[in-house]
Amino acid sequence: MTLSVSPRLATFPFPFRADSYRYSTNVEPARVPVETEAGSWGAGILHLDDDYAAELAERRRILAADPSRLQVLPHMRPAAWDALLTVLRELHAQHPGSMSLEQDGPTFVWRNSLLGVEQRFTEGADDSLPGGPLGFLGSQIQDDVVLLDQREGSLWADAGVVTFAADWSLGFDVGMRFLEVHGPVPRIHEEGIISRAERFLMRLQPGEECRRTNWSMSVDRRLDQSTEVYPEWGPDRRAIVDAGPAELARRLHLRVEVQHLIRLGASGAIMFLIRTYLVALDELASVPAWRERLGRVLAELPEDMADYKGLVRYRDAAAHWLLDT
Amino acid sequence: MTTLALVVGHSEEIAPGIRELSFSRTDGGVLPAHPAGSHVVVDCGEGRRNAYSLTNPGADPREYRIAVLHKSDGAGGSGHMHSLRVGDTVTVSRPRSAFAPVSTARRHLLVAGGIGITPMLAHARDAVRWGRDVDLIYVHRPGSEAFSDELAALLGDRLAETTDEDEFGRLLDKALTGQPIGTHLYVCGPGPLLDRVLADAAAAGWPPERLHLERFVPAALDPGREFVARLARSGRDVRVPSGRSLLDALHEAGVAVPNMCRQGVCGECKVPVLAGTPLHRDEFLADDERGAAVMCCVSRSKTETLEIDL
Amino acid sequence: MGSAHTSVPRWPTSDPGLDRTGRSYAILSFGPDARPTAEGWHRQVVELGRPVWARHGGSADEVLAELAERVEAARVGWRLMLAGPQADVLAARAVATSGGLLDAEITLLVTDDRHRRVWCSHCDTTTLAEVATGDVTGCSGCGRSLLVHHHVSRRNAAYLGFMVDAETIDGEAV
Ligand code: HEM
Ligand code: FES
Repeated sequence: MTLSVSPRLATFPFPFRADSYRYSTNVEPARVPVETEAGSWGAGILHLDDDYAAELAERRRILAADPSRLQVLPHMRPAAWDALLTVLRELHAQHPGSMSLEQDGPTFVWRNSLLGVEQRFTEGADDSLPGGPLGFLGSQIQDDVVLLDQREGSLWADAGVVTFAADWSLGFDVGMRFLEVHGPVPRIHEEGIISRAERFLMRLQPGEECRRTNWSMSVDRRLDQSTEVYPEWGPDRRAIVDAGPAELARRLHLRVEVQHLIRLGASGAIMFLIRTYLVALDELASVPAWRERLGRVLAELPEDMADYKGLVRYRDAAAHWLLDT
Repeated sequence: MTTLALVVGHSEEIAPGIRELSFSRTDGGVLPAHPAGSHVVVDCGEGRRNAYSLTNPGADPREYRIAVLHKSDGAGGSGHMHSLRVGDTVTVSRPRSAFAPVSTARRHLLVAGGIGITPMLAHARDAVRWGRDVDLIYVHRPGSEAFSDELAALLGDRLAETTDEDEFGRLLDKALTGQPIGTHLYVCGPGPLLDRVLADAAAAGWPPERLHLERFVPAALDPGREFVARLARSGRDVRVPSGRSLLDALHEAGVAVPNMCRQGVCGECKVPVLAGTPLHRDEFLADDERGAAVMCCVSRSKTETLEIDL
Repeated sequence: MGSAHTSVPRWPTSDPGLDRTGRSYAILSFGPDARPTAEGWHRQVVELGRPVWARHGGSADEVLAELAERVEAARVGWRLMLAGPQADVLAARAVATSGGLLDAEITLLVTDDRHRRVWCSHCDTTTLAEVATGDVTGCSGCGRSLLVHHHVSRRNAAYLGFMVDAETIDGEAV
């Protein structure tokens, strides 16, 4: 690696494998590091970075303002506990110096010195944890979480804690089948992408893990782009059109989600982790290969996909800035 | 398929012809967790592998427990399993789930015949652990009541146990016509019992979606026959042995094919076929693409030679 | 985009016929167009000699409350047959599935889809309106103009609605 880049770029999961982008059932094994022009990402499942405490404070604020971002249908309680214990064990294994999970019969003690948390709880007793098992899980990792139940030949998105949604609403989608959740996405149904993904996920066996990436763009470092608060962030998509080149490059961000899919053991649920990364175009441009590739992807992206991703108003301006300035 | 090398920690005849075995890691560590109703595939000697339901609780297990019925005809490896003693080593697959409880069920009605009780023990435990409504009808031969005491302690009067065919029929009839609408039924046991429960349930108006049978799924893609991949552009022949994927064989021959999932779903490793008949095992290709392409990470060849455009 | 694959229901608009595998039946119809089909189902169930509970018309709220009670008391073998406008069928189906019914136990007939229940994602109010998917309707809670998205929650029996003009500056066309 010859470039000297910021820590944010060094672990940024730049998602493009070519100069054009189309949807595919892009799943690959988890925990395999990916080398990029600026560094690498993906060696582990959970990634805590410099924004750890700030993003968790942001999640706390959002949940306090709108508790509907946390949803657990009653039959998902065992899955929520399973998800919590699986993630806390994973954190302990990855960060033994700063985190630990100790068990004494049904009682657990969780310590997280990065956040100054010491929490005692009893497995299965929802009120022994602030926010219940899923709410508490959301207070320890930057990822959004969705839990999917498998029955009647489908996966069902029946629980989640999602505060950083990219233009969708957990409160609306909770209780839907996997195919219904993806209803609004263009192309993927006609191309069989999403039914293939569901069949693949339904065959994941206990403990199996995989991951994929997804991407979009956003104006400013704004993690919460839920449909609920669209009146707050939607106007920026229009305002950015009138910005000058420097402001455009400073405010417009490439937004990448690293999504892990893990078949939990005891409950059999699928845990879907969505970790969102944002990098401004002017920062991203310090990696010339990324600058050029993102420019070409944006210039080439078919109109229906650009429209779905909410890029139509500014993608030409962004491509122009990346390629021609 | 990933397997676990485990040791026998417990071996005991718990009823005539039924041996309970437990397997653990040599260091006593935690084994992969699994839902109720899961099974493992155990190497039973002489290349035979059998699937057995796990009876242990699935959260952080330190041992896997199974119970094996001795089949007197000697086929199928049950003799080998019965000869296992404490300290013997065994090769066991990771747990596989194909008979899990339906989490939304208003009630779980379990029906077990004979050795079919094994997955039901795990189901009953899980239901009690999470406060789910559960009933069990257990029919077995006189004197062959494996796990009766444990089940009675777990379930109390939610357990109906019988050795009498007619009484079983009456219990079943009553259960099939009296369940609240959200009930799911799970059945495991000998073929005739499964047939009878399914037929009676259908006659009582149960849709198939509420009926769940223990059915073992293949533990992994089978290794397949050896074949030759003919590379049309270079004229080279690449041997693809049994147990090696076409993708790997090509890779070893210095031919790189882009790939990602290695499970036949992502579409990355598609290779055009010029001659021969592929044996498709992927989820990616549409029916009308299957003549002219093959996903080399999972698929093989029906013909001895498969000519591909590489 | 075509709605062929979205979460928007595409349910039968002509009589799918009686599911004869049930042990007992419930038949609900909403509105005059659904009534003849529902009465036909009713006659067929009576001919089969199976018990049936039926409601044709009446106040939707009362019918749904009564349906919830019936579902609670129902035994496996029960079949539910629903006929009427999409909005009513969606709402009744949601009551049934939340009580434990499976799709396999529900027969549906949709007579029209002129009305939609639209959930406002910004103020959490649901408005019943005569509006098509892709068109705009006013939210009865916050007053915003909502675009009726081609996205449906069967659980809440509602279409997703979101602010139609968030990305426009005053005076610009939507
Ligand atoms: C292999 C698995 C998956 C694949 C291939 C997949 C694919 C996709 C694609 C291509 C999009 C469009 C994204 C864009 O253009 O920005 C999308 C959106 C979305 N996905 Fe997935 N996805 C997968 C798993 C999941 C899971 C497990 C969930 C959990 C519920 C999920 C929830 C969503 C949601 C909520 C959206 C936004 C839909 C909307 O517009 O309302 N996805 N997905
Ligand atoms: S590598 Fe994904 S289909 Fe073969």
